Amino acid sequence: MSSGIYLSDQPARRAQAPSNPLIRKIQRACRMSLPEPDLALNLDVADYINDKQGAAPRDAAITIVKLINNRDTHTAIFALSLLDVLVKNCGYPFHLQISRKEFLNELVKRFPEHPPMRYSKVHRLILTAIEEWYQTICKHSSYKDDLGYIRDMRRLLKYKGYAFPKIHEENLAVMRETETLKTQSEIQKEQEIAQAAKLEELIRRGKPDDLREANKLMKVMAGFKEDNAKQARKKIVTELNKLKRKADLLNEMLSSSNNPDIQNETVEELYGALKGAQPKFQKIIEEEHEDDSLVQDLLKFNDTVNQTLEKYNLLKIGNSSAASQIHPDAMSNAPTSNGGALAHEINLLDFDDDVPAAPATTSSPTPGITHANNNGPMDDLLGDLNDLAITSPAPSQNFGLGGSISLGGMGQPTTSVSTGDNTMDLLGGISATPSSTTQTNNSFDLLGTFSNSGESKSESERVLVNKSNALKIEFELTRESDSTIKLKSFISNLTMDSITNLTFAIAIPKSMTLRLEPQSKDSLGSLEVDGITQEAWVDNALASATKPLKVKWKVQYNVNGNDTQETAVFALPKV
Amino acid sequence: MGSSISKTLGRLFGSTEMKILMLGLDNAGKTTILYKLKLNKIKTSTPTVGFNVETVSYKNVKFNMWDVGGQERLRPLWRHYFPATTALIFVIDSSDQERLNEAKEELYSIISEKEMEKVVLLVWANKQDLKGAMKPQDVSSFLELDKNLKNQLWCVIGSNALTGQGLVEGLSWISNNTAKQ
Repeated sequence: MSSGIYLSDQPARRAQAPSNPLIRKIQRACRMSLPEPDLALNLDVADYINDKQGAAPRDAAITIVKLINNRDTHTAIFALSLLDVLVKNCGYPFHLQISRKEFLNELVKRFPEHPPMRYSKVHRLILTAIEEWYQTICKHSSYKDDLGYIRDMRRLLKYKGYAFPKIHEENLAVMRETETLKTQSEIQKEQEIAQAAKLEELIRRGKPDDLREANKLMKVMAGFKEDNAKQARKKIVTELNKLKRKADLLNEMLSSSNNPDIQNETVEELYGALKGAQPKFQKIIEEEHEDDSLVQDLLKFNDTVNQTLEKYNLLKIGNSSAASQIHPDAMSNAPTSNGGALAHEINLLDFDDDVPAAPATTSSPTPGITHANNNGPMDDLLGDLNDLAITSPAPSQNFGLGGSISLGGMGQPTTSVSTGDNTMDLLGGISATPSSTTQTNNSFDLLGTFSNSGESKSESERVLVNKSNALKIEFELTRESDSTIKLKSFISNLTMDSITNLTFAIAIPKSMTLRLEPQSKDSLGSLEVDGITQEAWVDNALASATKPLKVKWKVQYNVNGNDTQETAVFALPKV
Repeated sequence: MGSSISKTLGRLFGSTEMKILMLGLDNAGKTTILYKLKLNKIKTSTPTVGFNVETVSYKNVKFNMWDVGGQERLRPLWRHYFPATTALIFVIDSSDQERLNEAKEELYSIISEKEMEKVVLLVWANKQDLKGAMKPQDVSSFLELDKNLKNQLWCVIGSNALTGQGLVEGLSWISNNTAKQ
């Protein structure tokens, strides 16, 4: 810069600039002369923190909370908007800092003991922020156990009489952990960053407990690298499987009619997911080149994705005849030998490659053997949509349907259709609304005849769950592995009248996960025996468990125009 | 600001605390030194997986001594212990001449970190009792600290963890050379 006297846009008199570039950046993003919060400056701070790590997240949190308590409302609002950006962009290392007791106490320093009649804007923003963290990272982060003080602070404020604003779902969606395909090194890097942040925080606190934990963590970080690698590998396979189901679903939706609705949100979402994942294939292949089966699988999948995307693009420009020439392979039922999560799914669907992916048109009513494979994408899709519901905990399994206790009826819409319907029509319906997607499941039931895999023939005994005046409910239990039980429900009508609008739901203890197929239909003719069937798998139900597994079930139905409900808890016999 | 006032007062009334980070290759004798200083006993220790931390008082100064394991796979984690360090003690097994170069490389990679540019550096040329141990002067010239460290205070002292020789001298050097800062 030239010397001499000149007017700059900076104020003539300014406090001495701090030597720490991070603090300088934060002050720049919060300076009073800004007309409104400057996203570019805020993101600049976020990038700097992500780049530097180490003490940066902590320094930033401390500096920002000081600015939030600044007497100038303008500055405080800027600081809060910067805080918001950092929480959303800097991940776990920053989350760890905002969940420190000291930080939270500082954050609410200017809150009076009793809530004021009207909250100031800063109060409102702080309450919003805490509520947002509570609804998102405290519930969904993989490290939510480290964020307990946020929960405590929220509880405390609530106890003192503060009311939290309602958070819009779209704001919550931003902070959800994104479930995307990542390469092994990316997953590991994320893990390492999180672990490093935690280690440094523990060392900084230096209390005996913290040090003990730090020692433990250090051993994990140093000694069990391979463990991390294995985990990362498993995650790749899981995500890949989800993508495969998405690809199949998109393909089905595009093939469903001559003029599919490609503006449909679901289609666009699927397209986006596939398109976004594609660049990762290359990277994964590079990293995992020694694993032949994975690479082969991935290459094949890549072809399918390419074709599907091309089809979408053709349809988009209106060239439906060319599009109909493209028939990508259905991926998720191609057997692969990747072990781990994949193997587990495969054993449920011992499916031959040559079974057509499109539903067969013969209408032999064999309800009940809903194929898990075809159902997969729906589950997953619905799972993604269900993520929007605030209360369900983070989906930890490959099936997006999160909560460990989830009444089956809630997770999946069970609108079902009599099996005689034209399948093509049903497929057309798929693109209309997500809730109607399950209808196709029912049409896939027809495939049941092809897919008679071993397990449906297994001779397990039926146990009577309940017999009321109107209904008989029976379970057929099969143990598929040390931890998985297959549970098939049979519902029979004991009355002379027909029963309609029947929904059957089951719930299991929190420690287990339930995967539920849609029920075969929702009505029973008079005295119809085993008219409705439904399959479910209970994961994590250990064979070695001593206590019997208890299942809560609920059935709602309409008979003679009366809505009826039955519910009870049933202890499963040991299998 | 508050902390600097309390530091000044602490210096006047004698209760300074400082964080000392003790690093070095595996089997250099860090943990033995730590417990010799703390308990005046020889604790036979297995290789440290993780770290030990003890407070050692010397001349009204409380040294929070962090001894972090030196095995190769632990070394990438050293940097997490850097923040707020006042002095770095680097322990060298003077009898293990084959790994002297490795030790030198590790030392330079530590002190080239930005967080460590203000610390004072003490090198303990440990295991002076063993036959074939290099003299502190030789270790010092091998490390070439005089050539490479322009802005840092450093010092190489011979030590023997078993007898405690050189340990007190080292701590007193540290407390003398940090008080001025």
